[in-house]
Amino acid sequence: MNFNPGDLYGVLPALLLAAGALVLLTSEVFLRPVEPDRRYQAWVAAAFAFAGLWASLAQLGDPAQPLFAGAAVSDGFAHIVAAVVCAALFLSCIVAFSYLESLRATRGEFYALALFSASGMCLLAQATDLVVIFISLEVMSLAVYALCAYLRRGKRPAEAAFKYFILGSFASAIFLYGAAFAFGASGSTRLADLAATVRSGSATTLVYASAALLAAGFAFKVAAVPFHMWVPDVYDGAPAPVTGFMAAGVKAAAFATLVRILVSGYGEGGRWRGLIVALAYLTMLVGNLLAVPQRSVKRMLAYSSIAHAGYLLVAVAAMGTSAPRADAAGALLFYLASYGATVIGAFAVVAIIERKLALSGLGDDLSSWAGLSEKHPALAAAMSLFMISLAGVPPTAGFMAKLTVFRSAIEADLVPLAIFGVITSVAGLYYYLRVVVYVYMVPEAKADAVQGGRLLSAGLAIAGCALIVLWMGVLPGSFAALAQSGAAVFGR
Amino acid sequence: MVDFFHAHQAQHYLVLAALLFALGAAGVVLRRNAIIVLMSIELMLNAVNLTFLAFARFPLVANSPMQGGFSQGHAAVFFVIATAAAEAAVGLAIIIAVFRSRTSVNVDEFDSLKL
Amino acid sequence: MRALDYLSPYLPVLILLLFAGVLCALIGAAATFLGPKRITAIKETAFECGSPSIGDSHSRHSVKFYLVALLFVVFDVESVFIYPWGSLLRDFQAEGLGWFAYVEMLSFMATLALGLVYVWRKGALEWNP
Repeated sequence: MNFNPGDLYGVLPALLLAAGALVLLTSEVFLRPVEPDRRYQAWVAAAFAFAGLWASLAQLGDPAQPLFAGAAVSDGFAHIVAAVVCAALFLSCIVAFSYLESLRATRGEFYALALFSASGMCLLAQATDLVVIFISLEVMSLAVYALCAYLRRGKRPAEAAFKYFILGSFASAIFLYGAAFAFGASGSTRLADLAATVRSGSATTLVYASAALLAAGFAFKVAAVPFHMWVPDVYDGAPAPVTGFMAAGVKAAAFATLVRILVSGYGEGGRWRGLIVALAYLTMLVGNLLAVPQRSVKRMLAYSSIAHAGYLLVAVAAMGTSAPRADAAGALLFYLASYGATVIGAFAVVAIIERKLALSGLGDDLSSWAGLSEKHPALAAAMSLFMISLAGVPPTAGFMAKLTVFRSAIEADLVPLAIFGVITSVAGLYYYLRVVVYVYMVPEAKADAVQGGRLLSAGLAIAGCALIVLWMGVLPGSFAALAQSGAAVFGR
Repeated sequence: MVDFFHAHQAQHYLVLAALLFALGAAGVVLRRNAIIVLMSIELMLNAVNLTFLAFARFPLVANSPMQGGFSQGHAAVFFVIATAAAEAAVGLAIIIAVFRSRTSVNVDEFDSLKL
Repeated sequence: MRALDYLSPYLPVLILLLFAGVLCALIGAAATFLGPKRITAIKETAFECGSPSIGDSHSRHSVKFYLVALLFVVFDVESVFIYPWGSLLRDFQAEGLGWFAYVEMLSFMATLALGLVYVWRKGALEWNP
């Protein structure tokens, strides 16, 4: 039996996060009669998220090795994704603290659910067995569905959660059907055995069907275009800090797994490349086009998230060619980190505005952003920075990320795809800069200040995100080196 | 080497599972009642279970490269059943939350988020 | 034609189904057309164990039923993992991993127990509305 208890060290970040969630759940039921104030939960959750971040960074130098008889793997790629997830969780906890406090909605379980979903994401990045991938996927998804329905205000959160739940479970079932076909074709649920079957040339209809079903299941999760219908509703209906965490964390984990399945499971031939290239074209086009007419900033950011999934798919497609895969994998990791920092910052600003709207009973519209620069110049500057980073303008993280992704696409002989990506990002400038125009140039109709107090923690998180965005844009060297070291497992 | 006798036997279960999966998928897309949609998803997962079991009992390949062999298909079914139960619990909780806000579980009436 | 080969064993079943359906329809039709119909008030009342129905048959059940049923299903289904563990424990012992496997299952059960304690303290098992 090829099993070593020491393998548990390899999944340390996920273990830490799950332990944190259990601690929070226990404290919720036993501490509440004694201590009705639940504010400590945010700091406990942030502490566990930081511990997870530390653990994943500490394991970064370890040599890649399989865990649990090949069901999971401990390698640099997984550790960097885990680090991105933990950092996203850390920042989101801080944002959620001030958001929930000011809405007087701090009930139990919020942070426990966030920790559970993050532990699922960390495991998802490490899993190399289709059943383990399914379980991690469900641990992540079930917690996120519940988080979407967390605010019990009006109809929107519950309906958003319902849509997400139905379509997400549908996608999980499709993924699982693909896993069953892969088991039938190779007699195993391990990706390595599947790769051996594909390599042996006995690729049958069953193998192709399994590849299509597995890819379709994950196309739902990463919000690629024919499967993107849930994204605007869910991003709009969920609480803003949760949306930020979803956009950063779920995307990172789902893309890591998509790459793992395609490259480790179906890799050698790269026959899946055509499928991913088609998805990338569609996703970039539709995401950017549909973002243009949006008046609600949250819905605009939702379509922008679809568009960014398209750019990330370009990096995935570049891994299906004969060019060195490590470059494309490094570009993917860098893009995930930069998009995560930007989108969490953007949704933190949205959370502050949304809180004002929730208290004043207005709808989410661009006009509520008018005149922000006069009352809150720092918030306005941060939002503008995040917008130009999403648009991919230098000197921000978004620019460096797009540059590396398109460069890896050109190296992989996907020049038309790269050119199409550049054109759509230029078109995307319009709707991102419109927010900046409203923030700086449109005068506000009537004066109502953002309620003060408890802004401090959200402000700290926004400042942290802005710092990372600028740092990755101006001095990308150390981050890029980190991403390359993580991507080295896909070498050759 | 494919064992044609076994492959032939697996076929019946695979066809049945494919029909059940299609039925479940159609239920998710077409039915209006949220509870029935939830049941359709469970039906899809059970169709997958049947597929796993058919491949585990009547394998298409000569031997399984996995430790534990084809019985890993049975293990997969255990995990799917447990996960499906947790999924149903979360789904029902969400449906109850929707019902509290609008006293209906008819999917057609969930319209507060349309474009 | 291969598809027909797979389905051919089911042909007798199909014939039986058709035969049963036609027979039922024939007998039902014959009874309707040939039988005498004398309906009186006393014949319309509930017979022996039957009792007059109260209210609508589509009444709503309390959501508590679903809640308790789901909690039961979740905890019940988790116990399925104990069987394979039990049958493999000797193999683990032979590998010198007996204690490790034992502690693994203990931690699994402890997590489940924690879930039960959580549910209990949250009041989900109280039946009062």
